[in-house]
Amino acid sequence: MVGVALAVAAVATLAAMVSGVVLSARRRVVWVGLLTALCAAAGGVAAVGMLAGGATVTASFPDLFPLGGVGIEFDALSAIFVLATAVVALPAAIYGIGYSAHGPSSRPVQAAWPLLVWSVMMVPAAGNVTGLIAFWELMALSSLVLVLAEHHHNPEARTAAQWYAAMTHLSLLSIVLALAVLSSNAGGDSFAAIRADSGHIGPTAATVVFLLSLVGFGAKAGVVPLHVWLPRAHPEAPSHVSALMSGAMVALGVYGLVRVGWDLLGGGPTWWGAVVLAIGLVSAMFGILHALLSSDLKRLLAYSTTENMGLVFIGVGAAGLFAASGNRPLAAVALAASMLLVVNHAAFKALLFLGAGSILTATGTRDLDRLGGLGRRMPVTAATFAIGSLAIAALPPLNGFVSEWLLLQSLVHSLPSDAAVVAVAMPVAVAVVALTGGLAAATFVKAFGTAFLAMPRTVEADQAHESPRTMRIGLIALAAACVALALAPTALAAPLQRVSLAVRGLDDGRPIHTNGVYLQLSGIEAGLSPLLLATGLGVMMVAALAVVRRGRIRRTVRDIPAWGCGRTVQTARMEYTATSFAEPLQRVFDDVLHPDIDIDVDHHTESRHYIQAIRYRMHIRDGFEHRLYLPLLAVVRRWGDGARRIQNGSIHRYLAYSLITLIVVLVVSR
Amino acid sequence: MLKALRKIVRTGRVTEAAPLDAGPRPSSLPGAADQLRGSVQIRQVDAGSCNGCEAEFAAAFGPVYDVERFGVRLVASPRHADALVVTGPVTRNMSVPLIKTFEATPGPKLVIALGDCARDCGVFAGGDGVAGSVADVVPVDLEIPGCPPAPDDIVAALRRVVGR
Repeated sequence: MVGVALAVAAVATLAAMVSGVVLSARRRVVWVGLLTALCAAAGGVAAVGMLAGGATVTASFPDLFPLGGVGIEFDALSAIFVLATAVVALPAAIYGIGYSAHGPSSRPVQAAWPLLVWSVMMVPAAGNVTGLIAFWELMALSSLVLVLAEHHHNPEARTAAQWYAAMTHLSLLSIVLALAVLSSNAGGDSFAAIRADSGHIGPTAATVVFLLSLVGFGAKAGVVPLHVWLPRAHPEAPSHVSALMSGAMVALGVYGLVRVGWDLLGGGPTWWGAVVLAIGLVSAMFGILHALLSSDLKRLLAYSTTENMGLVFIGVGAAGLFAASGNRPLAAVALAASMLLVVNHAAFKALLFLGAGSILTATGTRDLDRLGGLGRRMPVTAATFAIGSLAIAALPPLNGFVSEWLLLQSLVHSLPSDAAVVAVAMPVAVAVVALTGGLAAATFVKAFGTAFLAMPRTVEADQAHESPRTMRIGLIALAAACVALALAPTALAAPLQRVSLAVRGLDDGRPIHTNGVYLQLSGIEAGLSPLLLATGLGVMMVAALAVVRRGRIRRTVRDIPAWGCGRTVQTARMEYTATSFAEPLQRVFDDVLHPDIDIDVDHHTESRHYIQAIRYRMHIRDGFEHRLYLPLLAVVRRWGDGARRIQNGSIHRYLAYSLITLIVVLVVSR
Repeated sequence: MLKALRKIVRTGRVTEAAPLDAGPRPSSLPGAADQLRGSVQIRQVDAGSCNGCEAEFAAAFGPVYDVERFGVRLVASPRHADALVVTGPVTRNMSVPLIKTFEATPGPKLVIALGDCARDCGVFAGGDGVAGSVADVVPVDLEIPGCPPAPDDIVAALRRVVGR
């Protein structure tokens, strides 16, 4: 069944691409959306079939591609990532029908979209080095086309695409090198052969492979310091594309790291885990701080992706640390936590990106400081965005809470007998996870509050209207997915166990037990029942409402406006903006962020004691971009200028170059 | 530290001794003291005063007159208040905020007009920016005369309201 579903996905993708090229603009959008949804659904069926207990599917297409051909190996680790992709892509494809009708409906864009969905699903399904690289590059190129989708009326998209192209190819280069070293040392191209031979890979080669793949997959995951493309490319791509990129594509960085570092190489020394953990800690803090201070909604979401990938890296790194120090049960819990976070993150981040897309189509802006009051004008978007915000802030009873709880449990329960680095790293990790949780709550209070509550700050926000039906369906489906994942994570207990069994370097029977409603961790005295928690919260809310209602009947109630210190008029200019809401926290982190603040004061012409206007400008630079990338780019530019001296346009000189080349070739091949 | 302690010891109590009887309860407030049961929370509204009444009112809450020992407290929001103390003639700019403050105060509530201006606009009567006395804008329950009223008059009036 799994194999058939994968074949259906491939056929649906092909059909979607063909219809994207040949049909007329209006029908193209609908058919591409429906067929892409079919592709995603087929992928979802394959993933569920696999996780429910299917046997690993392998296939080989040796003639499809030079070198090793394309091999397929679809196991539980692949399936959990394909599941995350399907959770995002199915609603996003339906949402894309309504979204593209008003915007990116050109042929290349419509043909690239199904290709991206399919390649994101096929990367984890690849079973050999050539296949992985082929799908990886397919994914990179199709997403690049989609980032450029709106470049006609948005010049920002071009710079974003340049950054994205450079970073994604740095990633590819590094992965190709890593996998080339790996397969040449292991004497085989297919993953099965590498696994069988991994014992013979020397420690130096293993370290080289690990570090190269950490750079390659880390760049895709958007972890610090390779995150620079994320806050540029995600805002510029069409929103359903950013949902897939941020929810699913970025997670493939984690997939690659786990697959290569722990499954194929079989794990390594303690410092591997420590490095991954450290990258995760820095990314989580850095991402959420910048998310907190962004007033561009999609940029905020992109930085929050860096944060969440940081959290996933913390889980993976902790799993590596525990496994290396011999604590296999805890390693399995940490891995299960990060895999659950991948699936949850896919659901809520895609939901939030689709919500941001609805706001963008309704108002034409992503700037939170120009929104406001959308709650009454866009009720469905507001309700679903609220669910997504609660989930991403890791508040019970939604799904983000469950994975963050699991992650914290695995970090807290390190044993005193574990290595010294574990004893030092874990308390720091717990503190960082707790701090990011708090800052994430502040970030999404800001995002939801300034966009949806209070009074509209601009005419555009005032005239906003709810999105078309297909977009609403996408939003509601993802919100439902968040709620389902929140109420029944127990359903994922058995699949997560299969995932940890599939990862060779970390496998240990059962990370999580369940008896239907209760999650019980193995080896740890800790349990959680999300369903009972949600029921309890629901009962308490109903009881509180009932008490208030009864009070209403007995007492007389006056309806009077909110107390505003007696002011007679209230305008949108008096409201908290996103920037002002985040200002106190920005002050706290001034020493880390070094914001550039300019205050210009214009005095009145008649007296310096009267002020005519004050202009306040704050810009927060991405520290890594400023200190690492810009100097690097300057060096490259200087080299480029040097090369210009060689290529100066003189035909005589070019002829001389040809002559010299000819002589050199003749001498060499004499 | 020692210096402060020495100062405290040397100064002793500055608060005026409380008179035994605060005088008769005003007839305009029949059940106020019973409802308030020895405690009243006050929000003060400056509706256009010259700030003379504010100075005396503030003095009533200072260490010398200390009206807080009789259960009278100032609060920051009308939402927390039992009574509004309004000073000054009500100016045109302050009449709407005064009405809003009155509406924002939960019932049962009292309005106390403090000073001659609050009672009948005083020297500002007929002024261009003056909307009228406090009673012209919101219903007044108690008036404290004086320009400005002395702190012990304010204390006595508030004691009659609170019933202590």
